[in-house]
Amino acid sequence: MSEKLSGAEILCRGLVDAGVEVIFGYPGGAIMPFYHALPEHPRLRHILVRHEQAAAHAADGYARASGRVGVCVATSGPGATNLVTGLAAAHMDSSPVVAITGQVSRPMMGRDAFQETDIIGITMPITKHSYLVQDAAELADVVAEAMTVAAEGRPGPVLVDVPKDVQNQKVEWHGTPAPRTGTRGRALGSIEDGVRAAARLIKGAERPLLMVGHGAILAGAYAEVRALAEKTGIPVITTLLGISAFPDGHPLHLGMPGMHGEVHVNRAIQNADVIIGIGLRFDDRVTGNTASFARQARIVHIDLDRAEIGKNVPAAVGIVGDARDVTRRLLAAVEPRRCDRWLEHIRSFARPGPASYRGELSPEAILASICDASGGACTIVSDVGQHQMWVAKLFPYRHPNTHITSGGLGAMGFAVPAAMGVHLARPGDTVWAISGDGGFQMNMAEIATMVQERLPVKLAVFNNGYLGMVRQWQQFFHEKRYSCTPIWSPDYVKLAEAYGIPGYRVKDAAELADTVGRANAQPGPALVEFVIEQEANVFPMIPPGGSLSEPIESAPVVGAAGD
Amino acid sequence: MHTVAVLLDDGLATLNRAVGVLRRRNVPVEGLALHPSGTAGVSRMTFVLKADAVTAERVAQQFQKMIGVRSVMVLGGEDSTTEARR
Ligand SMILES: Cc1ncc(C[n+]2csc(CCOP(=O)(O)OP(=O)(O)O)c2C)c(N)n1
Ligand SMILES: [Mg+2]
Repeated sequence: MSEKLSGAEILCRGLVDAGVEVIFGYPGGAIMPFYHALPEHPRLRHILVRHEQAAAHAADGYARASGRVGVCVATSGPGATNLVTGLAAAHMDSSPVVAITGQVSRPMMGRDAFQETDIIGITMPITKHSYLVQDAAELADVVAEAMTVAAEGRPGPVLVDVPKDVQNQKVEWHGTPAPRTGTRGRALGSIEDGVRAAARLIKGAERPLLMVGHGAILAGAYAEVRALAEKTGIPVITTLLGISAFPDGHPLHLGMPGMHGEVHVNRAIQNADVIIGIGLRFDDRVTGNTASFARQARIVHIDLDRAEIGKNVPAAVGIVGDARDVTRRLLAAVEPRRCDRWLEHIRSFARPGPASYRGELSPEAILASICDASGGACTIVSDVGQHQMWVAKLFPYRHPNTHITSGGLGAMGFAVPAAMGVHLARPGDTVWAISGDGGFQMNMAEIATMVQERLPVKLAVFNNGYLGMVRQWQQFFHEKRYSCTPIWSPDYVKLAEAYGIPGYRVKDAAELADTVGRANAQPGPALVEFVIEQEANVFPMIPPGGSLSEPIESAPVVGAAGD
Repeated sequence: MHTVAVLLDDGLATLNRAVGVLRRRNVPVEGLALHPSGTAGVSRMTFVLKADAVTAERVAQQFQKMIGVRSVMVLGGEDSTTEARR
């Protein structure tokens, strides 16, 4: 059976057949044929954002929360370029996103036509792959392949650029091709050898550690990681993107490592003799100065991406494979043991948290109120800055994949739009987007999207009147010269009112439980501004490029700090 | 000096992406050649890199990840060119 269809129609059918249910997008000239075809496909729910960056972040948030591909759509030129930050964030954090962009018609390409940009060229380093569709006859295959490429192996963003005349071109359509699978499978013969070597190292280790990253969440390796930790007694460290891969509050859970990691976590790393890294890339925010990182440790590095192994830190054993599969095999290969002395030793490193916060309305108290209000069962999407570190370190994550943040790119403005995607992936769950006053103002226009599309996201703004994290660096490393970091905010309660949603302001800890409870109980979106101490700092801190062994635990005396 | 030979699908985008792998990692290129591979639709790209074995291997792994790349080979490190220079 075959019929003649337009490229736009084929595109829509391809998305439906790939199981897509939600698309985040914004129309414009070069993508109009697609938007013309879209209403014929009620299965594709379209969310009209207020800026294409939000479409990409929302697709990313949807992908992270659902484990499925997130889809965003934009027109050529400015629409496509507005996607760039979102694609870069998805690329850095290995999130499966497919971006469909309109392009000027083929005869106009290369002539600097109106709204022509080389979006494939622009996004080449921040996409896993991209396609310029030159003929509508290729479209069905390209859509199916793009969805597969985004999701398979190490996930990442894929861009499909479709010239307007290709969207209008009518071609014979023979149905959607069967999904491509496993095209880039790798010989994994060495997994068993690696697992045996790792098990031997674990057996002989006196001070072993598990370091768990985003790969464990992408692979859904929660049960395996937990079982491995419990069988061996090895303490567990979760990276910023690994948070919630292992339950907070578990006796073996140590916390987050790196630049803002707790002192005992970083000291554990510096004293470890074996580190089993599962699905992380040992980035510089985790390692500090690599020359002084974990010098006594032999590292077992498990990652799906062969190119990660040995990239940042030398691996004694590299195992290329899916985190869940490899961890399961490792679990079978290790002998039961305990690490009680080592755990006790690590506990002796722990220090009472430095008094980084004065006053009652502390980040702890705010996060505890959100946890209480939601019965501990919400997903937290954080933005970038000081509040991001507090949210990472102080919220008790008990359920898998309930902490979502832009780790690798560190894109301010991520939380609000990404939370829309998270809500659509988990419509039954409560979603809190927690931003600073800086990052919130980057994408707060998306409140309108939430209202129009009925997305009941809860918005928290940590208002310290500063681009706080930069201000902290200025205080520590730039002679306390607060250059361009004080930031004015609108009246957020009135802002909420203007958008027609409930808005609250909390200035005193005594109001927390009541106000946060009320916001949490709203059937629609709601906003809560927390007026927090202006010059609080995130402690401890490893200075950029510094060693994990030398944390800063209190604010330096002004003028004494170097660069 | 190391030579990395890549078999890859024809197409300007693939070429661009392959060169981008080197540009992004700031690996200096001493020589660059593109030839038909003998198989229709597949080209052979040869890069002579001013790079040590570890870097060449890392670059090869990045190539390996590229969609459209069929195979990658790292050819001898201490080749005659290097010898002659010494
Ligand atoms: C898009 C973007 N621009 C700039 C930065 C650099 N930056 C990192 S944290 C930060 C301050 C964030 O301020 P705010 O949102 O108020 O959060 P706070 O640190 O005060 O909690 C800035 C400017 C960034 N990460 N992303
Ligand atoms: Mg702030």
